[in-house]
Amino acid sequence: MNLRHVDKSTWIYLAASLLLLLVPFIVTGRSMQFIFIQIFIFAIFAMSYDILLGFTGIISFGHVMFFGIGAYSTAIVMSRLDSTIGSFLLGVVIAVILASIVSFIVGVLTLRLKKHFYAMLTLALAGLFLVAAEKWRSLTGGNDGFTFRLPEIFRDSQNMYMLCLVSLVLIFFGLRRFTKSPFGRVLMSIRENENRTESLGYKVVHYKVIASVVAGVVASFAGVLYALSLRFVNTGVFATDLTIDVLLMTIIGGVGTLVGPILGAGLVEFAHHWLSGLADVHWIFERWIILYGTIYILVVIFFPLGIVGTIQSKFTNRPLRGLRDNRKANEKKGRRAS
Amino acid sequence: MDLIISLVINGLATGMLIFLLAAGLTLIFGLMSVLNFAHGGLFIWGAYTGVWVYQMSNSFILGIIAGIIIGLLLGLVTERLIVRPVYGNHIQQILITLGFMLVLQEMIKVVFGPDQKAVFPPEYLAGSFMIGDIVLIKYRLFIIVIGLLIFILATIILKKSRIGLIVRAGVMDKEMVQSLGINIKLVFMLVFMVGAGLAALSGVFHSIYSGVIYAEMGLEFSILAFIVVVIGGMGSFSGSLFAAILVGLAQAFMAYYVPALSLAVNMLLMVIVLIFRPQGLFQVKE
Repeated sequence: MNLRHVDKSTWIYLAASLLLLLVPFIVTGRSMQFIFIQIFIFAIFAMSYDILLGFTGIISFGHVMFFGIGAYSTAIVMSRLDSTIGSFLLGVVIAVILASIVSFIVGVLTLRLKKHFYAMLTLALAGLFLVAAEKWRSLTGGNDGFTFRLPEIFRDSQNMYMLCLVSLVLIFFGLRRFTKSPFGRVLMSIRENENRTESLGYKVVHYKVIASVVAGVVASFAGVLYALSLRFVNTGVFATDLTIDVLLMTIIGGVGTLVGPILGAGLVEFAHHWLSGLADVHWIFERWIILYGTIYILVVIFFPLGIVGTIQSKFTNRPLRGLRDNRKANEKKGRRAS
Repeated sequence: MDLIISLVINGLATGMLIFLLAAGLTLIFGLMSVLNFAHGGLFIWGAYTGVWVYQMSNSFILGIIAGIIIGLLLGLVTERLIVRPVYGNHIQQILITLGFMLVLQEMIKVVFGPDQKAVFPPEYLAGSFMIGDIVLIKYRLFIIVIGLLIFILATIILKKSRIGLIVRAGVMDKEMVQSLGINIKLVFMLVFMVGAGLAALSGVFHSIYSGVIYAEMGLEFSILAFIVVVIGGMGSFSGSLFAAILVGLAQAFMAYYVPALSLAVNMLLMVIVLIFRPQGLFQVKE
């Protein structure tokens, strides 16, 4: 491989990953390491969400169902079988298979619909999964959830850190390759103008379904890591709040980029940790979601590109579209022309 | 037989409450193409304010009025501050209204406290009638009657009055209405406020119907309203009544016979409608 052809940004990302690799040797506190682990997990989850929102222009309010599927399948396998690497891998395989089946069925049924319908339908479907997890007590332990034992190697928080970091880096480069491939370009053209993409001869629905399967599988893997990091699972992994969390991470960080969600995950997790710590100072900090919601609304109105997107568009002078939806304008132009 | 009648009455009452919530949602969508995910937040604010005033003053009527007023005010705020800046952009609208929903829900916990609150009906609506063996709970009959009255009133306004004409024309083609010299933005605002008022009213009624209020109720109940809007057809007023009653009845019967599946049956209903008639049963425009 000729190294001169490697993109300059790739080196920056690799250097950043190496820096992160050193963190557990400097920061030895378990709770701090735990925060980093959570950041990596949610960064994976948020990147998968951005494949839908930022790259394909699909709004899903039910992305948490794949996260939950991942968390529950690992937890159930680990608690029923012995706690070895083998059963962990089995859990991952089951999670990936289940998530791809569910995302495929949901996608085929609903991705033909307009944005509003899709958003509503996914919200309702995720609600259905939450109810199912609450009622199917024999399998999920209901609302209380259950704990399980980890394989020996993951009990050390440093190893867990490495596992999550390596997964994050691999998934980041994998998704980066995916979005820069011809396939990813088609997804972006769907985001920009669905009708035009269709008339160029691309089967838009096929591309959207595959995008949602990819996003679903990656999200389920994030769920697997989440269950591992907590050694516990309950119906909280299906809560709509989690979807809103990753939505916030993606939007603050920058939609349509992969670094954005990672940065957003870091910011949101640190803010969460810091604000919950302040709850002892004043009770208002217990309701930090209000602050989140307000920031989120302001970002959507004033910085629809997010942090990374805003910086990128400054440096490259290339107008990124972000959340702006130009289809309406295009339609109007088309109507006038005809 | 008496079981079936009481289940039907349950279903109709639930259906009316969902209808009040869905009516605003469907009109706002039809007119402005805005799907208001914050509608559940207006519902819950109506419920809490109404209950608070009702328990303070001991007058249910005052509670209802307070609920409607807070709904109208919040509708005004939502339209002005949240929906208008991102008008015409679907992605931003969906995201921003969901964010506002979150803020409204958490504000409830700040203002009224995070705990559940029990609510009891006023004396003249408590208890039940007996006709033969059949027990008719007064409050449920009251909701059904009020719901029907509001439906009839709103239909008359929509079909007979000038403002109703403008609203119906706006649903079909808002550019045309605007070019006739009508301030469509004012109409948007009015419809949004009325929709929010209806949602808040639904909240007040629902608080007594379920006997308990909590902050997450808004999002849960608005999922039912979304299902109704999809089944009835976006923008169709009578469609949302029909679909609300359908969903209410399905909910009531399933809750009795197979409680675990009561949400699933409505989802299934929605999926079937979406597959075979994605525009809904009573769609008014393409």
